[in-house]
Amino acid sequence: MLGFSELNFNVDNGYLEGLVRGFKAGILKRPDYQNLAQCETLEDLKLHLQSTDYGNFLSNESEDLTVSKIDDKMKEKLLAEFRYLRSHSLQPLSTFLDYITYSYMIDNMLLLITGALHQRPASDLLPRCHPLGMFEQMGAISIAQTPTELYNAILVDTPLAQFFQESLSEINLDEMNTEIMRNKLYKVYIESFHKFCKEEGGVTEEVMCPILEFEADRRAFTITVNSFGTDLSREERHGLFPTCGRLSPQGLSMLAQSEDHEQVKAVADHYAEYKLIFEGSGLSSNNKTLEDRFFEHEVKLNALAFLSQFHFGVFYAYVKLKEQETRNVVWIAECIAQRQKSKIDNYIPIF
Amino acid sequence: MGSVFRSEEMCMAQLFLQSGSAYDCISELGETGLVEFRDLNPSVSSFQRKFVSEIKRCEEMERILGYLLREIRKMGIPLPDVEVSPVAPPPKQVLEIMEQLQRLELELSEVARNKEKLQRNLLELTEYGLMLRLTRGFMCRSERDQLGPQYEEFPFLEKDNVTGCTSMQRLGAKLGFISGLIQRAKMEAFERMLWRACKGYTIFSHSELDECVQDPDTGEVTKSVVFLISFWGDQIGQKVQKICDCYHCHLYPHPDSAEERDEVLESLKTRTQDLQTVLHRTDEYLRQVLDRASESVCTWVIQVKKMKAIYHILNLCSFDVTNKCLIAEVWCPVNDLTALRRALEEGSRKGGATIPSFVNRIPSNGTPPTLLRTNKFTSGFQNIVDAYGVGSYREVNPAPYTIVTFPFLFAVMFGDLGHGVVMALFALWMVLCEKDPKVTRSKNEIWQMFFAGRYMILMMGLFSIYTGLIYNECFSKSLNVFSSGWSVRAMFTELHWTNETLRTNPLLTLDPNVTGVFNGVYPFGIDPIWNMASNRLTFLNSYKMKMSIIVGVLHMSFGIVLGVFNHLHFRQKFNLYLVFVPELLFLLCLFGYLGVMIVYKWLAFSVRDSSMAPSVLVHFINMFLMKTDGETPLYPGQMVVQVLLVVTALLSVPVLLLGKPVYLYWLHHGGRSQSSYRGYERVQRGSVEDLSVTLSQDMEEGVSHSDHSISREAHPEFDLGSVLLHQAIHTIEYCLGCISNSASYLRLWALSLAHAQLSEVLWNMVIRLGLRTDSRAGSVLLALMFILFSVLTVSILLLMEGLSAFLHALRLHWVEFQNKFYGGTGVKFIPFAFSLLPSGLDQDGLMGEAPSVL
Repeated sequence: MLGFSELNFNVDNGYLEGLVRGFKAGILKRPDYQNLAQCETLEDLKLHLQSTDYGNFLSNESEDLTVSKIDDKMKEKLLAEFRYLRSHSLQPLSTFLDYITYSYMIDNMLLLITGALHQRPASDLLPRCHPLGMFEQMGAISIAQTPTELYNAILVDTPLAQFFQESLSEINLDEMNTEIMRNKLYKVYIESFHKFCKEEGGVTEEVMCPILEFEADRRAFTITVNSFGTDLSREERHGLFPTCGRLSPQGLSMLAQSEDHEQVKAVADHYAEYKLIFEGSGLSSNNKTLEDRFFEHEVKLNALAFLSQFHFGVFYAYVKLKEQETRNVVWIAECIAQRQKSKIDNYIPIF
Repeated sequence: MGSVFRSEEMCMAQLFLQSGSAYDCISELGETGLVEFRDLNPSVSSFQRKFVSEIKRCEEMERILGYLLREIRKMGIPLPDVEVSPVAPPPKQVLEIMEQLQRLELELSEVARNKEKLQRNLLELTEYGLMLRLTRGFMCRSERDQLGPQYEEFPFLEKDNVTGCTSMQRLGAKLGFISGLIQRAKMEAFERMLWRACKGYTIFSHSELDECVQDPDTGEVTKSVVFLISFWGDQIGQKVQKICDCYHCHLYPHPDSAEERDEVLESLKTRTQDLQTVLHRTDEYLRQVLDRASESVCTWVIQVKKMKAIYHILNLCSFDVTNKCLIAEVWCPVNDLTALRRALEEGSRKGGATIPSFVNRIPSNGTPPTLLRTNKFTSGFQNIVDAYGVGSYREVNPAPYTIVTFPFLFAVMFGDLGHGVVMALFALWMVLCEKDPKVTRSKNEIWQMFFAGRYMILMMGLFSIYTGLIYNECFSKSLNVFSSGWSVRAMFTELHWTNETLRTNPLLTLDPNVTGVFNGVYPFGIDPIWNMASNRLTFLNSYKMKMSIIVGVLHMSFGIVLGVFNHLHFRQKFNLYLVFVPELLFLLCLFGYLGVMIVYKWLAFSVRDSSMAPSVLVHFINMFLMKTDGETPLYPGQMVVQVLLVVTALLSVPVLLLGKPVYLYWLHHGGRSQSSYRGYERVQRGSVEDLSVTLSQDMEEGVSHSDHSISREAHPEFDLGSVLLHQAIHTIEYCLGCISNSASYLRLWALSLAHAQLSEVLWNMVIRLGLRTDSRAGSVLLALMFILFSVLTVSILLLMEGLSAFLHALRLHWVEFQNKFYGGTGVKFIPFAFSLLPSGLDQDGLMGEAPSVL
């Protein structure tokens, strides 16, 4: 079995891999985006999306099309595809697919917690959660007052429980703490996912590990940049960095020490691929933010995943690319709806 | 009727449609299906075209119609058949239809919403009723169980009161109940969460419902559990409430006392009854509305479909400068021009336009599409040809010859009288009931395939009967109609055979040289006596092998000869000398001569000198080696003739290889330019409007114009290298192909042998077993065996063998026959016709939601 995974990969996963590659062919291409960007109204946008793989997914929305409706429908389509894949998958692919959903679950959970802090009813918040990260106990999250309670009462049954071991504390949940909790959860999640892919070995490891390492490093950079001006101590900050990335360990300790944007950039200079990302992202050079550049790099990595065969990376890459596509379309739709045509080209084309 | 042999002459025409009557004109053209429209604004994206809003309106109407159809189907109301297809509605009427549809939709959706609400209400009430009935059990039980502890609790509380400690009562808290239903699957997780979140300060009792209940939210039928939670205090109450929400429990108020419960139950009963009557009424009303809608919904679907098609066509047209009329460019068969004019007049009249729309023939350098008119008989054969490739414009069409050769080659491989009769009868039945709507409307794809090829199957069956008679085989048995030409009796009288001879010798040979044994040839087909002979296979193999070679050479030569008509039509006379003649010589000198030798041998050697008949194969090989090897010549001067033939064949190769390129080179550089080169180049489908404007004045209608007069300007750049390369490939392909293709025709022999052997095996293994036993049980066995025999005959011999023979015949036509002359690089003429629109309600996605995934 070991080392010959190519031989029997198709026995269990061949159908789904073929399927996901077929789905991938439906991802919008550059000319599609160019056409979309030319649209004048959302109706035109709908007409155009009809000629793509989305088909008439909006046809039953007769009047007053809004951006959020388009967003919901696109997510719904992705969810339907993902559910199909998930329910036809076998171990270990099903665990892998579950791992993909965990990150959405973390986001959803924190969205609900912050919402509860601001006294928003759960019924308002639930529709705003990402459908990929839905889980049963979501509605009850607002009951919890402290992380321990949250864990003990609600999350212990969910798959997220495994990420909670370290991040339990008795402090009350507030804005800052939720962010810290989010980052701690993510750290454990990415490290665990990375470990899973490593154990899987073969092409899956070759493809997935660079993607996850990049994801880890991106989080480290983002945490550092966002923590400027808060009262987060260096040690605390260092504790939030996922350790499975390329930056570990020297880069992370350097990041933990850095105090401003220039120092972060100096850290990135030590790494060829991050240097490129930070180079153009100064303060307004061709108005691309650091975030966009990270997204671009992510898209590149994910698109590369489709070049090799017999691995699980394609599933991850497909979900991420589709997510990016949704972001793109929503951006374009938003620009059209608000009549800000000058910024419409700021999407990130995928293929 | 020249159109059978080559595709019809096409012309490019411009239609000037007055904007007022354009819609009616296009509608008229759609009904008649005369012309193919070209896109005049390919650069404009689909949502920037002129009639987008109209198309959108059509789509909106389709959406409503789809909704209507779904509702009608849900109700189970049958849709009436539409016999006559209604014409597209005039634009004025569209608004009316639209209004009607919208009103219907509004009405329907309101009623449906009401109905849904009522149904939901009803479900909730039933759930409530069920819950109350079950929770009564809980209460009774708990009252009985808790009788003891209650006494202990009261002093505890009172003591608290006395000491002034915080007690439940002082906080105003009291025992609270929450009761409701939850899905069975979620029960355990719910209970666990409840326990964890409330730290056990609740009492949870539950019991499963016996019957399945429809969920009011999702409409699914699930098993549910009724639960009752009792708790102390508001804080916990809120928590419990939240947890219930999270698990989508259906909560219902819990009555405090038994009397209240009975009251509620009573009122529930009356309300349920009321609701049911209201629901019944609503249903009836809904049915009425849908009944009314179903009468015209089919007409509307067709009308909207036509309308949408018309607007799509109008989007292909361009506007002239004054915006008063639309200009369309169409391909139209020259023969149909008058019909086109008449249709336009009719359209203008209907549209009430003051200025009529008119046609203008314009020159074009594009490749016209290929139109071959077919009828129900020829369409099957034309489809076979088209599946290989649609013929180039005005190219020789192999289909009319295929009508004869295809069934014939099939029958050579499928030669059996009995099987042919079964096949022909089946096809005849299909032909006779082709008007029966039940047969034609069948949705089964395999059946439709057979049905579409019914005439072909009929022909194949008839030809199989013929070849079966020639082979003298009927279910692998021979028919002795004219009595065999061989006589065994003569052997007894002349050679003094006795019964002893018969008994001692397992094999005996009839000697045709003995007088009286062979009394002449059997009048038609193969002598039935061969069926009993043990050397039957040797005899038939030799015969069928030779026959396949002869058939093959004839078939291929015919293909080459058909090329002549192409060369003549396209005015490429040099091809006649430089391509056709060497090709034909090469084939005939080698394989044609082989055929001649075979026939010669049949004729020249009679029964008497059969022992000294030479081997054709040896002679054929010697012909290439140019030696005699001591064989006696077949005829005087054989050596000279053979050398001559081989040399001719070899000489024709360089002619074929170099002739055409050299000639073309000379043509382009030698000065004398020949103007008759007529080739059609495929060009981009660009607009030729500019050209037409200048030319339109001097082009009166009716002036006959030949398309080729202007094709010279598209004369291609001459490139000797590519022409040489092309011709070299063609030569190699042809010369090697001659050998391999001739060998390929041997499949005729191989398949007919296989068919004969298989049917013989079937007879020997199955029917003979049944015939052998001659007791009473034998008849039963025979009947069983006959059933088995007929099933196997149909499934293996008719279907499987028939399919394989069909495929081989197809290959012989496509590869061996058509590559001798047929280009097949044309584009099919697809006229704009309403009859070509997908018909039926299910096919256009109106019905049902298209599944989002898979």
